[in-house]
Amino acid sequence: MDAEASRNSDALEIRDTGGVILASVPLTSARATARLGTMPRRLDFLDGGSFETSDNDGVDRMLGRRSLLHRLESSWRTVLVSVLVAALATAAFAFYGVPAMAGWLAHHTPASVARYTTQQTLLTLDKIALKPSKTSLSVQKHYQALLGAVAAGAPASASGYRLLFRDAPGIGPNAFALPDGTVIITDQMIPMVKSEDEIEGVFAHEVSHVVHDHGLQRIYQASLVPATIAFVTGDATQIGHFATILPGILLQAAYSRGFEQQADDDAARQLRRMGKNPAALADLLERLDKKMCGHGGCGPSWLGSHPATALRAARLRQS
Amino acid sequence: MDARVETAPQAPAIRHQLRFDGSGGEYFKIWIVNLALIIVTLGIFSAWAKVRSKRYFYGNTYLADHNFDYHGAPLRILLGRLIALGLVLGYTATIHFMPLMTFAWVIFFVFASPWLVNAALRFNARNSSYRNIRFNFEGEYWEAFGVYILWGLLAAITLFTTYPLARRARDHYNINNHTYGSRYFEAKIPGWPMYKTYLLATLIFIGGIIALGILLSAAGIAGMDFKSMNPKQPLTMLRFMLLFGGAYAMLLLTLTTFTGTRVFNLALGHTVLGDRFHFESSLSTGRMIWLVISNLALTIVTLGLFYPWAAVRIARYRCEHVAVTGPAEMDNFVSESVPAQGAIGEEVASFFDVDIGL
Repeated sequence: MDAEASRNSDALEIRDTGGVILASVPLTSARATARLGTMPRRLDFLDGGSFETSDNDGVDRMLGRRSLLHRLESSWRTVLVSVLVAALATAAFAFYGVPAMAGWLAHHTPASVARYTTQQTLLTLDKIALKPSKTSLSVQKHYQALLGAVAAGAPASASGYRLLFRDAPGIGPNAFALPDGTVIITDQMIPMVKSEDEIEGVFAHEVSHVVHDHGLQRIYQASLVPATIAFVTGDATQIGHFATILPGILLQAAYSRGFEQQADDDAARQLRRMGKNPAALADLLERLDKKMCGHGGCGPSWLGSHPATALRAARLRQS
Repeated sequence: MDARVETAPQAPAIRHQLRFDGSGGEYFKIWIVNLALIIVTLGIFSAWAKVRSKRYFYGNTYLADHNFDYHGAPLRILLGRLIALGLVLGYTATIHFMPLMTFAWVIFFVFASPWLVNAALRFNARNSSYRNIRFNFEGEYWEAFGVYILWGLLAAITLFTTYPLARRARDHYNINNHTYGSRYFEAKIPGWPMYKTYLLATLIFIGGIIALGILLSAAGIAGMDFKSMNPKQPLTMLRFMLLFGGAYAMLLLTLTTFTGTRVFNLALGHTVLGDRFHFESSLSTGRMIWLVISNLALTIVTLGLFYPWAAVRIARYRCEHVAVTGPAEMDNFVSESVPAQGAIGEEVASFFDVDIGL
């Protein structure tokens, strides 16, 4: 029914269109809904009745208050500031917050967990991608000794630094480190290596991955990013999850490139300590790049898990 | 003389179209300022932001010149969110370090989810009102268990040939346990149109996969032996992942929108309230698919800023194609006095993306 509300000192009076008073309640007993956009307001009374009006300014005047939130939401200045805050916070979270948290968590992960994760990963890899090695035992022992020499100065890992050889025609020449200090090298890598310096560079790179817990950090980052996005945008279900997965993928690739760069830098330092030239590692990387990707080089670095080979080689040579 | 009782002539039924009055620009300002406040308060404000957001969408939805209302209390929502966050962290931590715990978590979620779903539906219903009369939800635990868990198992066992029936059981459970002013909603969805929808979706899926295969071999990638994918070869692997992954995701999005829209039309079109109010829904699947995909593209391109306009677009389209037909007087709806339910269930449920309805 059409009605009109007005204030009479401490009372709220509701009148119908004829001026007859329908209700009179203490002003403080009426609860007003918060002002939101241009939506109508509602005044709720203790007896369950309510009064609705689109005259937002009138309600504010009558109740003698103005909503701070509404003022903020109506000012274009606040809106611009909010866009900035959102952008900055997202960038800070992505490039500082997540890596810092992941780093802390990885550092505090017990050795037993690193061993367990390594065992499980190795089991899976052996089942789907790796085959027993065809490299001779003497070559394996030689390489193991090289790894031992490179890792001599490094902090102890969960299981010590050991080298495992695998035949991996599906993967090609490659080497990777698992969290507990196990390094896997493929048979296919051996013919690509032209000098001991080169493989020592690879080992120094892999040792760096273990020392900095890059493998564990990757795991933590993978959980932290979705969990935080979910907490902040708990009701962003209209679009579905695709729009939030995409930045997650790009972020993970960026973190990965950061790890690879750190490992390269450590490798360069270690090689110099041993009196060797980091350019050796650059040579090997370029050789691998040419073999796997042809003359065009491997893809754009903004998508890849490793920085572009040309960049890596240049950085190693300049170190 | 016979006394003849003349029944009053039935008032002619009136058709009311829903109307949405909000605008993307207006909602953007509210949304972005709320987002900044959430960031500044490290997430605490998110409960208040959610209430404002829901009030905005409810309050701008009009039926016969009256709008809807949302009454959720932010503090309870905050409590629910904190509990949900605790569960997420606990789950993530334990499954990474004790993978065997995954089994325990699965059991936990199987038995917790019917309760969560009911709590979420109850909280939402009881905090929603139209013309000062609240809705309610009265589903019971074991009924929910049967609908969500048992029907789900049956669908899986029968290789999803019974999925349309499972979906219908869920929609019936959802709708038939909702009340407005002490009157029940009642849905009687016919089985064959449900089946037709999913059969069509399956055909589209197969067609889509074939089209994808043709697309990929044209791009020269399908010829690539999977085993020769080298992790140190970023371009080919990522190009493949992005192309195939992206196209596949689009296909899935199209399909879920297709079935979602048709099921929504079916369910709403066969729902009545208190024997006198009928609902109709005439959403076009083509238009919905276009809306969803264009919303996604624009949101990605604008780094998320388009989201408020996206939400308003969908809300407006939905309102413009949903109508209620019934007698002019809205008597007979008496408000039940029910206590406001805690938000814990709702927040935990929405966290784990429990699909709670239409």
